[in-house]
Amino acid sequence: MTIGAGRLRAVEGGVWALVTVASLAAACRSQDRIVVGSKNFSESDLLGEIVAQQIERRTGLPVARRFHLGGTFVCHQAITAGQIDLYVEYTGTAYTAVLKHAPGADRDSVSRVVASDYAQRFGLVWGKPFGFNNTFAITVRRRDATRYGLTRISDLARLAPRWKAGFGYEFLERADGFRGLASAYGLRFAAPPLAMDLGLTYRALAEGKVDVIAGNSTDGQIQALDLVVLEDDRHYFPPYEAAPVIRRATLERHSGIGAALDQLAGRISDAEMRRLNALADVEHRDIATVARDWLHVNLP
Amino acid sequence: MDLVRFYARNSQEVVGLLGQHTYLVAISTVIAVLVGVPLGIMLTRRPAWRGPVLGLANVFQTIPSLALFGFLIPLPFIGGIGATTAIVALVVYALLPIVRNTYVGIASVDPAVREAGRGMGMTDWQLLTQVELPLGLGVILAGVRVATVVSVGTATIAAAIGAGGLGVYIFRGVAVVDDTLILAGALPAALMALAADALFGLAERRFAWGGGK
Amino acid sequence: MTLPLEVQGLGFQLPGRGTGDEGSARFLAQDVSFTVGAGETLVLLGRSGSGKTTTLKLINRLLEPTAGEVRIAGERARDVPPTRLRRRIGYVIQEVGLFPHFTVARNVGLVPRLEGWEPARVELRVRELLAMVGLDPDSHAPRHPHQLSGGQRQRVGVARALAADPPLLLLDEPFGALDPITRVELQREFQALQRRLGQAMVFVTHDVREGLLLATRIGLMQHGRIAFLGTPQEFRESEHPEVQAFMSAADPGPPARG
Repeated sequence: MTIGAGRLRAVEGGVWALVTVASLAAACRSQDRIVVGSKNFSESDLLGEIVAQQIERRTGLPVARRFHLGGTFVCHQAITAGQIDLYVEYTGTAYTAVLKHAPGADRDSVSRVVASDYAQRFGLVWGKPFGFNNTFAITVRRRDATRYGLTRISDLARLAPRWKAGFGYEFLERADGFRGLASAYGLRFAAPPLAMDLGLTYRALAEGKVDVIAGNSTDGQIQALDLVVLEDDRHYFPPYEAAPVIRRATLERHSGIGAALDQLAGRISDAEMRRLNALADVEHRDIATVARDWLHVNLP
Repeated sequence: MDLVRFYARNSQEVVGLLGQHTYLVAISTVIAVLVGVPLGIMLTRRPAWRGPVLGLANVFQTIPSLALFGFLIPLPFIGGIGATTAIVALVVYALLPIVRNTYVGIASVDPAVREAGRGMGMTDWQLLTQVELPLGLGVILAGVRVATVVSVGTATIAAAIGAGGLGVYIFRGVAVVDDTLILAGALPAALMALAADALFGLAERRFAWGGGK
Repeated sequence: MTLPLEVQGLGFQLPGRGTGDEGSARFLAQDVSFTVGAGETLVLLGRSGSGKTTTLKLINRLLEPTAGEVRIAGERARDVPPTRLRRRIGYVIQEVGLFPHFTVARNVGLVPRLEGWEPARVELRVRELLAMVGLDPDSHAPRHPHQLSGGQRQRVGVARALAADPPLLLLDEPFGALDPITRVELQREFQALQRRLGQAMVFVTHDVREGLLLATRIGLMQHGRIAFLGTPQEFRESEHPEVQAFMSAADPGPPARG
């Protein structure tokens, strides 16, 4: 039995109509809706939520959230591919891990290079920093710091052969991560570091499974678990200033976003970020609520 | 090829992770057999236990592996970061196939054989060791085979909680979007699963009393 | 002189369920009494569900009696651990139940080996028994059950039951699953075996002709009770309605004319 020519043409027409409608719908959606992403830890989620709510309040645009993506590189891929419009990145991370420059430059040149390289290579625009520096915190237990007189990372060198380190997967792989740190400070551990989900490293340190970890300097758990951050005396780590990164196309299409993001510039100090992180990580408060409360107080 | 070069450059680490992975799978499978086979035998002797025990093992199986790891971490003794937690979780997952297959293997022995054995004066232990277990061995080994193959896969997730193994490469690769790294972990894991499947398949054919049909 | 088997008032009651109504408990066997002497064969005859298999299983305690007493060679069955009791009783069932993963020799020698006989003695006994049931030891001993025919398997089953030379043999419709020709063949050979051996036997069947052929005495069971107990000759002449029903089934009479 053959399908009549007339019927076939009708089916064809129907398919084309469907395709047209679908692409129009998709195009409309992507033009109007802003997608905000975040990496896979609470601070990133918090800042993402603050940015998202700020855009919603000031511009009235609908914002979709795609939080807790798999880390720096996944977010970078997502934004360059257009799957997200915006996420919060750290200047130092962009400098060494994404752009693959050697670590060791000062704050201003890092910011400058990052802004121009991102604009040139990826069509991405850096917003103004929030005002805090979240650097890698090489962290140990307080009783060990007291016992062995540890205040600086270089103090670790003599203990490393007897100690066990534990890191998250990103720190292990990044150029500005473990390998660079170990060579800059001459750290030689007896065994390769224990690898696990970043969030679990604090627990591992507190439980004694490992003796040193690379946390984040604004983490809420540092105080809660009575841990000590060692000073980066050789200035190995670049500055890591958090700022929003947004696709130029998105910025140009909705000018209101730029103004909305500028309002956040310089509003969050190190201490403030640590406080917000503690609310999320230690007291397990809902992130959307924490963000809303903060905006209510600081940008009424 | 990139992968070959990676293995050549990191041979020591690869061997180490392979060893860790094998350790996780081997230890958990052995424990699961030591617990599961007697439990399966018990089910053939105590019908009342069947529902609850098989039901419980079934429930364990439905818990997503990462979630189970997460639940176990805060517990004392069997929890915490590291291999212990991973092994506990792997044992839990291996139990259902082993218990169920042990039960089925023994229960499917021809009732006439069992009646004849009892009628002639065999003790329960003699019946179990000389008749039921040898006849059910094929099905039991099939259960161990399934459990082992599943363990190889689940053990890759154990890297998230610091238990080591081939999952370390996979997680590292995912974190930095590096396909070579991901493959470096996934490929040996897949091969290990295939090898376990083949090995146990061989054992089934050798030791199982499949003949007579 | 103690009899090999004495059964007195034997009964088996299923746990009652529910309330009221007569027969709130079911009796599969009730008030069963008989004796079997050395060399005698008691055939338990009856319809399906009449209690004959139940009675058999009460003797070797595969079922525990809820009433009555069993004495084997003067000893109360209740006082002997079931496993030890069963080693002294040969047991043959309709499905035979040979162990598929054992050779014929290992199957036959099961009980002697469990009893700790020396391997040489076991092997000798196995050969002796196989010959006795009409199977050439050299060709059959190393085979596995799945390589034998139905009739051959049951011969092995009988040999296995006789292996430890028990004073009592229990057989539950042993030839029921065989084709008619093989059945007759085995019945004849069994009859010859009966004369040679001095065992007491309890033989369950629903086949009247088989019963009349092999019995020293027949016990007809109905609804769990013994309805008739007597010699085959007495059976033929009895006027008990159940006996007559069985007799007419055995001998359908001349074909109708017309």
